[in-house]
Amino acid sequence: MKRNYLKETRVVLAILVFLSVTLFFVDSWHLLPDSFHAFLHWQFVPAVLAGMWSIVVALLLLAFVFGRVYCSVICPAGILQDIFIRLTRRRRTKHKRKYGFRYRKAYNLFRYALLAIVIVTFLWGINGLLVLLDPYSNYGRIASNLFRPVVIWINNGLAAGLASVNNYTLYHITVRYITVGSLAASVAAFVLFAAMSVLRGRLFCNTLCPVGAVLSIFSRYSLFRISFDKTACNSCGNCERTCKAECIDSREQTVDGSRCIACFDCISSCKKGGLQYRFIPTYHSTQEAKAPASPAVTETSRRTFLAAGGALLGTLPLLPAWARSKRGAVRHEPVIPPGAVSKERFTDLCTACHLCVVKCPNQVLKPAGLEYGWEYMLKPHVVYDRAYCNYECTVCSEVCPTSAIRPLTVEEKMTTQVGIAHFEKDLCVVYNAGTDCGACSEHCSTQAVRMVPYKGSLRIPVVDPSICIGCGGCEYICPVRPARAIHVVANAVQQRVRKPEYEQVEEKQVDDFGF
Amino acid sequence: MKRRDFLKTGALAGAALTLSFDSLQAALASKQVAVEKAPDLVAVMGGEPGLMLEKALEALGGIEKYVRSGQRVVIKPNIGWDRTPELAGNTNPELVAALVKKCLAAGASKVTVFDHTCDNWQKCYDRSGIADAVKAAGGVIVPANEEVYYKEVSLPQGVNLKKAKVHEALLDADVWLNVPVLKNHGGAKMTISMKNYMGIVWDRGFFHKNDLQQCIADICTWEKRPALNIVDAYRVMRQNGPQGKSAADVSVLKTLIVSSDIVAADTAAVRFFNQVEKMDISAVGHLGKGEAHKLGSTDLDKITIKRIKVG
Repeated sequence: MKRNYLKETRVVLAILVFLSVTLFFVDSWHLLPDSFHAFLHWQFVPAVLAGMWSIVVALLLLAFVFGRVYCSVICPAGILQDIFIRLTRRRRTKHKRKYGFRYRKAYNLFRYALLAIVIVTFLWGINGLLVLLDPYSNYGRIASNLFRPVVIWINNGLAAGLASVNNYTLYHITVRYITVGSLAASVAAFVLFAAMSVLRGRLFCNTLCPVGAVLSIFSRYSLFRISFDKTACNSCGNCERTCKAECIDSREQTVDGSRCIACFDCISSCKKGGLQYRFIPTYHSTQEAKAPASPAVTETSRRTFLAAGGALLGTLPLLPAWARSKRGAVRHEPVIPPGAVSKERFTDLCTACHLCVVKCPNQVLKPAGLEYGWEYMLKPHVVYDRAYCNYECTVCSEVCPTSAIRPLTVEEKMTTQVGIAHFEKDLCVVYNAGTDCGACSEHCSTQAVRMVPYKGSLRIPVVDPSICIGCGGCEYICPVRPARAIHVVANAVQQRVRKPEYEQVEEKQVDDFGF
Repeated sequence: MKRRDFLKTGALAGAALTLSFDSLQAALASKQVAVEKAPDLVAVMGGEPGLMLEKALEALGGIEKYVRSGQRVVIKPNIGWDRTPELAGNTNPELVAALVKKCLAAGASKVTVFDHTCDNWQKCYDRSGIADAVKAAGGVIVPANEEVYYKEVSLPQGVNLKKAKVHEALLDADVWLNVPVLKNHGGAKMTISMKNYMGIVWDRGFFHKNDLQQCIADICTWEKRPALNIVDAYRVMRQNGPQGKSAADVSVLKTLIVSSDIVAADTAAVRFFNQVEKMDISAVGHLGKGEAHKLGSTDLDKITIKRIKVG
């Protein structure tokens, strides 16, 4: 049989992309540099949100010329589904007739209505649907919250083994960034991808996925596409049973280009060479015109989808008001990562891929649940209970693929105020126990929290809000429980503060020991 | 070094210390000196860290007195902060490297270095220059950032702190050397040898909650005492400690204070510090509390001190 170079290339590229993206998320050893994040700009939704229009246009052009190559080679969630399919379908090859895929009608109304809702709600300032449906962000959450802990667990086992032979190349890591919300969302996405792909192939990509829907509009007219060689085809149906997009109708000998994800599996499935990937400009191809399906099916499905779509669209105007009502119910505001500018901007642009969460060297970023309302769902906020934000660290702002966290220089970071420390004297150890403490001031990066004379030789902290950047060193280290004597109150809009001034003191010379 | 040279050096050193011309003459005449008793505390001033360490150890009778062949050694510097050596937030890396080499030369089977850092541990280890210095010198720098590395020990003499989780490297070691940097400290007033113990324990919050000064003294009662306390005062953070804001907080004083008496070493260091910045010694509460625990003496008149100026 002829080798299927197209499929082989697709598989190799997909494996490379999948492994590198996955490695970037689970990389606990800094094997890949942070600059690797540039590779993620090729993910469609991040590219749109970051305003990288040249990449967006390039991806659309790719779909228009070669079909939805994006879905089988660039999209990690797509490749993950291919892996599920591969793992579960392989042993069924003998019973293809029973277990294979079969052609189904496209759920066009549903997918385009959903796409419209995603876009309209996003423009309305609610990106919750996008957060839940964006394939890249879903995969990011799966890799961060499910794969990474497994990798760290293995790492810890190896580290313990190596340490016993005096090798400290690996070190123990405790996973602290996972929250109930992030775990639930990741498990749900994992199960959804697994179930949909095992049962119905790339159904997610052709119904729920907003990127798939956008690309389908272009791939429908793609220049290169899979098509039947009607003289070679004997309508055996192998291609149809192989097609995970369920878009090949072997009886009518049509391929739905809007759903075809260019996996090229069908080419291999046909021993007769009945399917080929060829240059067919749309205006030449009449054979791809809509196959006349049985009118009864069309009628019912159209009616169902109209109803469903109508119902979904009908809820649209209610969403902003509902989201706003939730906003008011939240008591404490989240501390947003430095560089995110404002809570409003951040919630608009962040799709909760959790890359910043896993890249934060101090694990100070944690995904929210619903404690800050739906608009903040799964998005990272700064939590100071077990860590604080490193003074000169800019990692989260560097790696953010949607630029929801804008890149900061070290200088900008050191003067970006995400919140202000508030000191509660009546909780303080120095006030209550009359003993020395000063842990807060000790950890203060800017000396905004200083110790000033109190009683006798005791000193007590004071906060200078004009140079506090809200790094949370004080809150993290304050020993008082349950409520800490000093805590950071978030800025809804991040401020720039002046750099702390350094008093110049004359150099002192000492010629004696003094004892 | 030949025996004769050694004897001469010893005699000269003895002479410099006692200024007893008679005994020198007698010694030279008989070409014999009694083996000089090592001082309780040695202070060296005016040289680079490695040289000052050399002089101090020499005066104490050599590193071999403390580290024997085949022993596992732990060196515990202060690596608390993500700061370059110039900002004096951490122990001088040259001093640590010189000490690692000394221990290995004395036949130590393994020299391990760690600190439970305050800032992110990797950044601290790297930026302090200590990780590179230790590796280059042939030592092993180990992480201390996770609770798994710590094991509980009991402190029967402790007043507030009765037990603590201590880094396993120390539990495994035959001998350990406490190598703090001399700094001003917003909470404990000063951080020197005794305060440096806070980097061997896991839960420091307990210290801050239960009378910091008392807990510092309590942890120092742990039965495994450092063989030597080697106080780095090459660069000294006079103010805004323990992190410091800038190089303006730092004075280059090129001094090293070494003693196996932890209270004496810290007392001497505070007295030394007072020459650049006022610090009431009674405010550094853990010193008095340490003396009450019989860890050492704050009365420097009761101990023998050797002062060496080089360069």
